[in-house]
Amino acid sequence: MYQYSDKDKQIVKNRTKEFLSQVKRRIDGNLTEEEFKPLRLMNGLYLQLHAYMLRVAIPYGELSHIQLNKLAEISEKYDKGYGHFTTRQNIQFNWPKLEDVPKILNELAGVEMHAIQTSGNCIRNISCDHLAGINNEEVEDPRPWCEIIRKWSTFHPEFSYLPRKFKIAVIASETDRAAMKVHDIGLKLVKKRNQIGFEVYVGGGQGRSPFIAKKINNFVKKRDLLNYLEAILSIYNEMGRRDNIYKARIKILINELGAEKLKSLIESKFKKFADKKLLLEEDEIKKIKNYFKLPINDPIKSSIPVKKNKEYNIWLNQNVIKHKLAGYSIIMVSLKHYNQPPGDATAEQMKKLSIIAKQYSHGEIRVTHEQNLVLPHIKNSDLFSVWNKLRALKLATPNIGLITDTICCPGMDYCALATARSIPISQKISQHFKDQSIQDKIGNIKIKISGCINACGHHHVGNIGILGLDRNGEESYQISLGGSADEKTSIGKIVGPSFSEKELIKAIQTIIKTFERNKKNNEDFLSVFNRVGIDPFKKDLYDKSNP
Amino acid sequence: MAKKLKGDSFFLSANDLKTGSVVYYNGDDWSEKVYKAKKINRSEIEEHENIAKKFEDECIIISPIFVELNDDGTIKKLRDIIRKNGTTF
Repeated sequence: MYQYSDKDKQIVKNRTKEFLSQVKRRIDGNLTEEEFKPLRLMNGLYLQLHAYMLRVAIPYGELSHIQLNKLAEISEKYDKGYGHFTTRQNIQFNWPKLEDVPKILNELAGVEMHAIQTSGNCIRNISCDHLAGINNEEVEDPRPWCEIIRKWSTFHPEFSYLPRKFKIAVIASETDRAAMKVHDIGLKLVKKRNQIGFEVYVGGGQGRSPFIAKKINNFVKKRDLLNYLEAILSIYNEMGRRDNIYKARIKILINELGAEKLKSLIESKFKKFADKKLLLEEDEIKKIKNYFKLPINDPIKSSIPVKKNKEYNIWLNQNVIKHKLAGYSIIMVSLKHYNQPPGDATAEQMKKLSIIAKQYSHGEIRVTHEQNLVLPHIKNSDLFSVWNKLRALKLATPNIGLITDTICCPGMDYCALATARSIPISQKISQHFKDQSIQDKIGNIKIKISGCINACGHHHVGNIGILGLDRNGEESYQISLGGSADEKTSIGKIVGPSFSEKELIKAIQTIIKTFERNKKNNEDFLSVFNRVGIDPFKKDLYDKSNP
Repeated sequence: MAKKLKGDSFFLSANDLKTGSVVYYNGDDWSEKVYKAKKINRSEIEEHENIAKKFEDECIIISPIFVELNDDGTIKKLRDIIRKNGTTF
């Protein structure tokens, strides 16, 4: 894992001190809310419906057991004893008091964490594949590149007031586990002619106008990466619209200019930068890569315990993945227990999981954009012991990738922008489909729920996407089908008029029945949808003769 | 603040600056107890906008809003009910 340099420590310490002074000035009346708001947002502090909300960065979704334990302590000491892991691999605390936030930031700084650039019109936390460095298919570990980009983008003087927020994701495999193509910039490490570099995608995003990122460069050399990013951001900073918040993202710019035009502008800017100081030297890259060496080096002989325990075997099959090193496994820790808001973890769960990580996973935990956690390096022989411990914490629900593994934003239960609730919808779906045999029969499916058009719950890229709306004061849910956030990214198609909260579960049941009726062999939901199209679903959902 | 308001009676609500808690104006001060909230008629909106502004300037509250009420005095909108009662799950 990356470890702060003295300079990093000083930066975070200074920032905490600065925010303490800003909070004091606000409470004393020396700053108005208008003056204070941009300052608090730069420190990840929002005002929600009931309280402030603090978003803490988890760079590229990687946590040490010490950090996870600190998050648990903070949730107990300053919040209500839980945290919410988000779709961008961060964590949110929903109830901090303004006067406590500098203390929280100070405690975070002590474990090399912060809330810098988790909000505001700047480059946000860099997303990454949660299986980075531990899967067999990647060309190299993308995490060092996330760190290099994080260093470049943090407090970048030119890019602190962009037209709008800016999100970057990095992957290194054909399989996209980071929703790379719905980011403002998506980077994919590729190997071409024996050289490793980056495919560059620009202009993806969700919100009210969803777009899939377009590839604008087939191969950027590693040493040129920062210059190339600098070129993209410079063009966006100059040309992105500042007159209309809804048209300010780079996805709109690329859509208005066309990919070719934007590419040529970026390329000519890049030529101007190409030999300047952002050129990455091999030594520098190597230095960062050294932080990301795996804590285990060699394959070992270690077998998975064989038990006649049905629950354990289902979990093994659903939540455990092969590590790239023989003898080790990767455990997907489900944060989708049937009564739990998706992505929430209690202080007790976090504390005990940090102990498990320390004991069994070389102290490391990852966060997925699908709001689950990962124990990345588990000896095969430890799987049964770890399962027992996770099970006792309700963290072994065997539903990874299944219908109850929903992605869900906080919705109107917390969010000031939301137009409908999303957590209770997720819980209803989980309750309805929680029978394991039903889930297994349905197979892999992604349900994603957003409580408003801003799409924090990624509904546009759900196989079944649910968007909560306000129709004359009543909650109403629009369904889209066929979306996907993987390597074949697609935006879902709206199936028709929306459903009331009461009608929604029946509508989901109908969609599942249509899928099952059309399913051939082992096809999953998305394959069936791509083969038969939206019409059979539409017919079944809206046919009046269907009682 | 008063834009798009419907209905005839309201509570004045806000978030407490220091804690972020939901508070209601009770005629003199702000309280988390909704039963103490002062019922405001449409004709009193402008006066209470000024009151809210005064408390905002004094750094007591932020984000003031008028909460629309039903004829029986209960809160009308789900968002405001959630603000009053807490999360629904």
